Amino acid sequence: MGTLGRTRPTTLACGEVRTCLLPTSQALDLRAAGHVLRLRADERVLASERPNLYALSPDTLMGVDCALPASNGAKVRAVGTVVARAALTEGRVLQAGSFFRVPDTGPDQRQPWGHYLVRPGVVEPLGKLPAQAVAEGLLKGGRPGELDPGLIAEGLLTRLLRHPLLDQKSPFKSRRTRLRWVALPVPDGHGPSIDFTVAEDDLRTVRLGIPEGTDQTAVVRLCEDLALHDWLLTTLVRMLDGSRFGSADGPMAVLALRPAVDHLMHLWMPRARVDRKLSALWEALEERPGFSRQWHTLVQRIRDQMALQAIPLLREALTAR
Amino acid sequence: MTDAVFRETAAEPLTRSLPLSHLSLELGHLYMEDFEGGPERLRRHFESVKPWAEAARADATARAGGKRPRISTCFLIDDYFTRFSTPAEVVPVLLAEAERAGLVIDYLARESGCAVADKVPLAESVAGRLVESPPPGSYGLRPPVGQTGWLANGVRTPALRAQAMRRSGAWQPPQETAAHRHSVFLDVELWDDKDGHRTWSCPFLAAVWQLTRLGLLRNEGEPVFVARAHSSGGFPSEWDQLAPLLQLNATAAPFNAYRTCSVLPSRFLPVEHAVRIILDQTEVDAGALRQVAERSDREGVAVPDSVADRASYVFYPGW
Repeated sequence: MGTLGRTRPTTLACGEVRTCLLPTSQALDLRAAGHVLRLRADERVLASERPNLYALSPDTLMGVDCALPASNGAKVRAVGTVVARAALTEGRVLQAGSFFRVPDTGPDQRQPWGHYLVRPGVVEPLGKLPAQAVAEGLLKGGRPGELDPGLIAEGLLTRLLRHPLLDQKSPFKSRRTRLRWVALPVPDGHGPSIDFTVAEDDLRTVRLGIPEGTDQTAVVRLCEDLALHDWLLTTLVRMLDGSRFGSADGPMAVLALRPAVDHLMHLWMPRARVDRKLSALWEALEERPGFSRQWHTLVQRIRDQMALQAIPLLREALTAR
Repeated sequence: MTDAVFRETAAEPLTRSLPLSHLSLELGHLYMEDFEGGPERLRRHFESVKPWAEAARADATARAGGKRPRISTCFLIDDYFTRFSTPAEVVPVLLAEAERAGLVIDYLARESGCAVADKVPLAESVAGRLVESPPPGSYGLRPPVGQTGWLANGVRTPALRAQAMRRSGAWQPPQETAAHRHSVFLDVELWDDKDGHRTWSCPFLAAVWQLTRLGLLRNEGEPVFVARAHSSGGFPSEWDQLAPLLQLNATAAPFNAYRTCSVLPSRFLPVEHAVRIILDQTEVDAGALRQVAERSDREGVAVPDSVADRASYVFYPGW
């Protein structure tokens, strides 16, 4: 028939990524990562070793039939499937995400379920989609009973964190972050745009403007990459926050930073798997607020403090001769 | 501008494609009781199947758009729920009776192959692909079907305890999600677990059987339930020594097909209703689905979007 999975053009894509430290004393190798992320018996976990160790689970689906949140209070019922998947970077940072896209209009009535299953990751509105209002609503978060991609991401994360291969011994304390995103198409001739907001404590919202015809997987990967690096930065900032380097207990403060050296500092690698067409968005964030600039400053600070603490030790060693 | 290409094969998904017929025509299921009924029972079965098989061929020809349709026939033997006799004894009788009715069995399948075929746990894989049809009001918070082993086509009657907490206490009817005004509610048992051993239900294995015939399953991108050619010798004395899928006719059209048609006695109707409910809630391999769509498009053959709609049946009167 050739119409398989064919839907109206996407006007809105949305998702949420939850990022956390994998609760294991040792980072997992790719083999072990393959076991943890094997969400389906018959599908491979995709594994990549360049430019860093990265494993990606197969996509799984969750069926939904509920209202979409809308900032103007419009009632929009939508039916379809939301994709959930997980990724592990360097065997250390676990991400569980969910995402879906919405066409501008859908059938007036709910279709047989088979119609939705051959359109994985598409949630169709019943009737016309008020795209702007729904984008706002999704970013703000809906009311109970409205579609919540965060809930689906959290469900997957909870399931993964129970895996028997995880010894539940985290090498240091850290918090989860949530990155919620929506993408809307930009008019012809316009380049992509990004609006990154550090909302509450652990919530970031990202609003993307995407040229039409951009591969949705590329958008999802960009958001996963943003979430990963935002988590790294957030975690390192928190580690250094309140450190008393110059004081009498300076040596202890520096020792407390050791997990950063052991587990975090080698993970910074923005755009490792981001589509070239979208890397301009990363560059914009590098310009302002300057993610990498802040990261490198923090890392340099840790290294300087470590070096400072090493000098007295060196002196002791020399005088002891 | 310098262009560099770097690839890692383990980092890219892959789905191997399969040759496809227009129609996979199933000429029957054989259970122990059928075999115990002697060759006469098989003879009656094939005599009943014959006219409907002809009709299915005629229908496939009409749908092929003027071209000669590729049609393969198959037959399923139950060696999963009961082990009876031996292939050496059963298969020659079966083939002789089919031939007497003027029917050719191209492929012979064992039902236990739908559970595990060539060490690939097909049934378990399909169980991991169930995506429940969400009743209205589902916003992403549902326990996976994997925990219960039951799959319904709607919302069950609330449990009595939950009802006791309602003030009215009145009985609540179940509700079929895709009901046309009135519900036909069905709840399907997919498996049971006893002493650490899982037994898949007959409808669940029959759903796996349909999905393999439709060429919509893969294992890590590779084809599953692959036919092996039958050597000219006889048949083994153990079912396990028989390939899960055996190609008996060397010149047969491909086993996998755009559509399936099964000619069965009417007692199979409830089982096949359950099969439809399972097919309607199974997310098949995305790569395989795409390949079938592209190929049928090139050939100008209409294939329904919905997987459940690709299976059709003829129920002939009888038991």
